[in-house]
Amino acid sequence: MKSSSTRSRILTVTALGFVALFGAMVVGVGVGPLSMSWGHIIGDVASHLGLGHSTLDSLQSTVLWQLRAPRLVLGLLAGAMLAVAGGTYQGVFRNPLADPYLLGVAAGAGLGATVAIVQIGDGLSTPAWTPWLAFAGALIAVSLTWAVGGRGTSASLVLAGVAISSLLTSAQTFVQQSSHSSIARVYIWLLGSLGGASWHSVWMTLPYVVVCIIICVASAGALDVMSVGDVESRSLGLPVERVRLVVVAAASLGTAAVVSSVGLIGFVGIIVPHFVRLLVGSSYRHILPLSALIGATFLVLTDTVARTVVSPSELPLGVITALIGAPMFVLLLRARRESLT
Amino acid sequence: MSAVEVRHVSVDIGAAQLVRDVSLEFAAGQWHTIVGPNGAGKTTLVETIAGVRQPTRGAVEVSGTSIHTANERLRAQTVAFVPQHPIVPAGMKVRDYVGLGRTAYRSLLRGPSTRDHEIVNEVLNRLDIERFADRDVATLSGGERQRMVLARALAQHTMVVVLDEPITGLDIRHQVDLLEVLRREVEECGLTVIATLHDLTLAAQFADRLVLLADGQVRADGTPHDVLRSAELADSYGVALQVVTVGGSDVVVPVTATR
Repeated sequence: MKSSSTRSRILTVTALGFVALFGAMVVGVGVGPLSMSWGHIIGDVASHLGLGHSTLDSLQSTVLWQLRAPRLVLGLLAGAMLAVAGGTYQGVFRNPLADPYLLGVAAGAGLGATVAIVQIGDGLSTPAWTPWLAFAGALIAVSLTWAVGGRGTSASLVLAGVAISSLLTSAQTFVQQSSHSSIARVYIWLLGSLGGASWHSVWMTLPYVVVCIIICVASAGALDVMSVGDVESRSLGLPVERVRLVVVAAASLGTAAVVSSVGLIGFVGIIVPHFVRLLVGSSYRHILPLSALIGATFLVLTDTVARTVVSPSELPLGVITALIGAPMFVLLLRARRESLT
Repeated sequence: MSAVEVRHVSVDIGAAQLVRDVSLEFAAGQWHTIVGPNGAGKTTLVETIAGVRQPTRGAVEVSGTSIHTANERLRAQTVAFVPQHPIVPAGMKVRDYVGLGRTAYRSLLRGPSTRDHEIVNEVLNRLDIERFADRDVATLSGGERQRMVLARALAQHTMVVVLDEPITGLDIRHQVDLLEVLRREVEECGLTVIATLHDLTLAAQFADRLVLLADGQVRADGTPHDVLRSAELADSYGVALQVVTVGGSDVVVPVTATR
């Protein structure tokens, strides 16, 4: 039920989103300490498709395919998932401040990762078990939240999330304090990074992200109905409890998979859906798919900044997303307020 | 013929009994208004009739459907509900808001069908709100907003519409406008309306029947003429009331000792 001007605006934003995504991908693989020209990169990609010969040397080819490409793909997956999960939570809880960590995913994953680093590792490196324990911690946290508040209203679920998050964060702090030598490593993990990206981590994350994004986007129509609250949605014929269970499970599972691979990256899940909402209106049918597109673009660009501004060292990705995200969020809020007055 | 049957319905919240063993029948194609003082249980009763609240005891049948055992979709195809304070999501277009009334008829994966579009357009025209169909719901006046909420209920294509204080916060012109729209739906489309109202005069002017509720129980039930003149009315409100006839209509006036 869209007017033609709304439809053309959505098409324009979608087209610009794809152009921006392509640009971010080009920058993401091309920019770094080891210089590679666009022509050489395109030639190397073409050679992998059986067209011509690569002009990259073996070091450049290794950097391209074993470091930058998996990092780019993992960034795309993480950005898309966090943005879609944030938008989904904002819809299902009718709370503009909801982010993917609302129900305890971050606290649970943080506890799991801290246990892995402090109890299993030597404190100096991040053990291979870290993503699995982070994943398990995130899922246990959301399950606890659901067990406590899932049978009540959306508000009771959010409150349960706050309580479980506080509890697990306290436990994480306690575990972290028990080993001073691990504190730096734990903080590095908590601030998030795509630095450890590999094809293994891509394949570990991909199925969850694809399935969970499909479920969230398919539920967009139900989220539009839920914008009038639980009671009215139910009176309109929506099975509110079932929809909430499915979308919360999908958004939480996808977020848990992402967090276990890249750590805690803040702001993507809040800022991107709000930015998209400002561009295309309030329907989740448009917000969620475009959030995936713009979230992926945003994270790849911020990761490029994180790994190049103090090269050869790296800034934590969560710091960059917050540094860029916070002022943008303030500007967005001002723009939204002005559009409503 | 009864469109709605309420059988021995009680609603308890904690130790409080909000509705006590109420049994009522609501004839099809008529306007039934539930009146009563604050705290009488009016909102609880209509929420229970609309199926958005479970009764502690008793049952409600709407158009032959047991409303509390039916699934959400069937319930929404049977009875539409307009709450006292509807949530109006800023940023949504009026047309899309009215389209929410089609939720029970469409697949949420596919979006609205051509038939959904036709019904929404028809309701927008019938309620004379087509002119602001593409406006943001947050920009509407109180009167426009109430028409839009009623349009959403009518888009549900049910034979029974339940409304809780639909004219709250409206000026007298917009109150009468909205009630006239509803009256037209009753007379031209055979709609069954069950509404709560605080204004006894307007309730008497527009309804076919008044049900007086106090302390969760039915105290009087009948034509507006009879209920307004019943001894239970003044007793339930705890204030002396006088009914005067002006231009053929009953007007309820409180009798106070201050002047």
